[in-house]
Parts: sequence; C-alpha cells; structure tokens
Amino acid sequence: MDRNYHVFSDGRLERHNDTVRLVTLDDEKKFLPIEKAEAVYLHGQIDYNTRLVSFLNKHGVALHIFGWNDYYAGSVMPKRGQTSGTTLVEQVRAYDDLEHRVDLARKFVAGSIHNMRTNVSYYNTRGHDFESVLTTLEETRDRLEETTDVAETMGVEATARRAYYSTFDDILPTGFVFDGRRYNPPDNETNSLISFGNSLVYANIISAIRATALDPAVSYLHEPGERRYSLALDIADLFKPLLADRVIFRLLNRNQLTTDDFETDLNSCLLNERGRETFSKEFEESLEETVEHPQLNRKVSYQYLLRLEAYKLKKHLLTGEEYVPFKRWW
Amino acid sequence: MVYVIVVYDMQADRTRLMLNFLRKYLTHVQNSVFEGDITEGDLETIQNKTRETLKADESAIIYRMSSEKYVDRTVVGEDPTDDARFL
Repeated sequence: MDRNYHVFSDGRLERHNDTVRLVTLDDEKKFLPIEKAEAVYLHGQIDYNTRLVSFLNKHGVALHIFGWNDYYAGSVMPKRGQTSGTTLVEQVRAYDDLEHRVDLARKFVAGSIHNMRTNVSYYNTRGHDFESVLTTLEETRDRLEETTDVAETMGVEATARRAYYSTFDDILPTGFVFDGRRYNPPDNETNSLISFGNSLVYANIISAIRATALDPAVSYLHEPGERRYSLALDIADLFKPLLADRVIFRLLNRNQLTTDDFETDLNSCLLNERGRETFSKEFEESLEETVEHPQLNRKVSYQYLLRLEAYKLKKHLLTGEEYVPFKRWW
Repeated sequence: MVYVIVVYDMQADRTRLMLNFLRKYLTHVQNSVFEGDITEGDLETIQNKTRETLKADESAIIYRMSSEKYVDRTVVGEDPTDDARFL
C-alpha cells in the first residue's frame, strides 16, 4: 500500500527530475518518492504550479490541502482513472429508492455504533464504569431497525454519538475537558483533536473512494450536498472511532500531546504546528497497523480497510450482494 | 513488500543518473546509498533500469530483506530516514 506524505514546512513543492521535491524557505531540499505516494497532505504554506499538478495527476496522487488553522480546505484529485457509467447509475438508483437508501444509511450507522461500542467497552474494563453508555448504545442499535426514513436514522446516530462522546471526559486525562462536541471553530483541545482527526479520516476516504468508480458526492446517510464529498462522510463515520478517537486517547493518555501543543484564541482552540505533526505521525502509524482479515485470509492495513469499504459498497450496488459495514472484529 | 538497500558505484559524473532514478522509489540515506520499503514489482523495475543504466566498469548491489523487521539497523549520528514522510 502506498503512503501518505505530510508537508508541514513552508516553501515550494515542485516537480524535479521526475519526482517531487520540497524546497523549504531556508532552501533545504527534500525529496518525496513519487512511486510510493498515495497522497500528499499540505499543512504548511506551500507554492506549487500546474507542472506539479499534472505530474501528480499522471501518477494518480491526490493533494489534500489543509488551510489556515488546518481546516480541511479541499483536494486536488487526479483525473478519474476509474469511470463507469453503470456504477454511477446504480449508485444513484440506490439513492433514489427510499427503501434501499434507508437500508444503506442504517448499515452505516449500525457499523459506526458497533465501532463506538468497541472503544467504550475497551475502557469499561479498564477502570471506568460505562455500563449505562453501553446499554444506551445497544438500545440505539435496536431502535435503528425500526427507522423508516433517513432523518430518523440520522437522529439515532446522533443519540448514539452523544452517548459515546459522554465517555470522553472520563477517558481523557485531567487537564483535558471535552464537554460536548463543538466545531467551527472547536472551542477546546479535545474538540480540536476530534476535528483534526476526523478531517484526516475524511481525506483518506476520499482517496479510497477515488480508487473505485464510485462518485464521492452521491451518499446515503448524509444528504448529498453541494461542493462536498458526502459519501466520504458516510464511510468516515464507520472509521472515526478506530482511526481518530483511538489516536486521541493514546496521545493524551501517554502525555505525547499536552496543552502546550495548542493555540487558544478568542473562542477557538487549535493544534499548533508541533501538535499537528505529532498527531499526524501517530495517525499514519495507525493507518499502517495490520490485522488478519477473516475473509481475505491475509493481513491488511487499516488503510486498506478504507479501500475495502469502497469496494464492498460498489460490489453491493452492482451485484446486489449484501453490504456488510465495517465492524471491528478484533 | 520488501525492504531493500541499494548501493552503487559509478563514474563521478554519472552518479546523478542513479540518484535521480532511485529518488522516485527510495529514501536517499548517503552518497550512493538508498533504502526503503517497496513492492516486488518496483524492485523488478529498479533492477531492470539499473541494468540499463550501468556501464561496463560500474556496479550496483541490491540487498533485499523480506521485511524491515529483519534488519538490525543502528545509526550513529543523524538518521536521514527520520520522518521521511513528514517534510
């Protein structure tokens, strides 16, 4: 599996001798092996030109841009290598068929409730008492089967997520409060970590969807909106507990991130450059973690699980084979 | 994936040929030394291209390990592969 490269320095990213080179402001030159790149994440202030964009396009490498204060600002995606009218037609058909759409929406929520539950029950056996949250999660899962429209399904997911987030204040070390999810902008350290973590999950899923012929804008749980890849939001919900939240717990409980890694402004709180770098490192390491896959009978990386999710969805749409959402099995 | 170390010895004015080529796949660790994780397919590409590039009196040696885990790697001084993915 190819890797993600993160650029934190300011400078210029350019094509040089058939690979990509970063020239930092103090004229340091660093090379990025293009043949091994899956995507490049830009966190610093970077100049680049069309020559670089067409070169990345030729190699199928995406550029994910994080703008001021690391808000996800957008992606420069390679030209679609995979196009399939049939897939798109089936994808839209499933969206248009209410029963089919609700069924898929429910599956995304069922998977994400399961994965939230895995995190909660992990900490439940480690000195915390989360029995009531576990019960709530089980109840929401049961209620899910009775939902008849997407808004209702979305409501169940919101209830589940609220219960799940209520455990954060207990799990996180002293000094870190959570007190409910807030964004645009995040108002405390924990919220800013969740925002940053979720945006990395989201960008990785955009790359994964691009590997299939699925259209990232046609979604089931989330309403397809303008100018956003809402299918990536659907799939991201499944993986946030595994990829973003576990990294947050790990970094804070091991003291690898402290309040010094944040910048607090009037009513926002965001990771500073060092904090973002620490977080991205841990995040990339967790993408590379592998697990034995029961159906494939081999080890796959977490990153590959994202791609498998896109493949499974596509296969479901094209062949009608049941879509089983990602549920952590280990 | 395999873990490889590539070292090469070429006429001084020709070394950039290998340098520029290998930079696309591996991390440049020292003059004429590269290392990193690659796929079998890329290793094949590297071998073929190396064969084409080298002249009669030049050579390249490719050490191949099935995984980085099998290398006991000690670096004295600064490690050039440190954070190769975080620029």
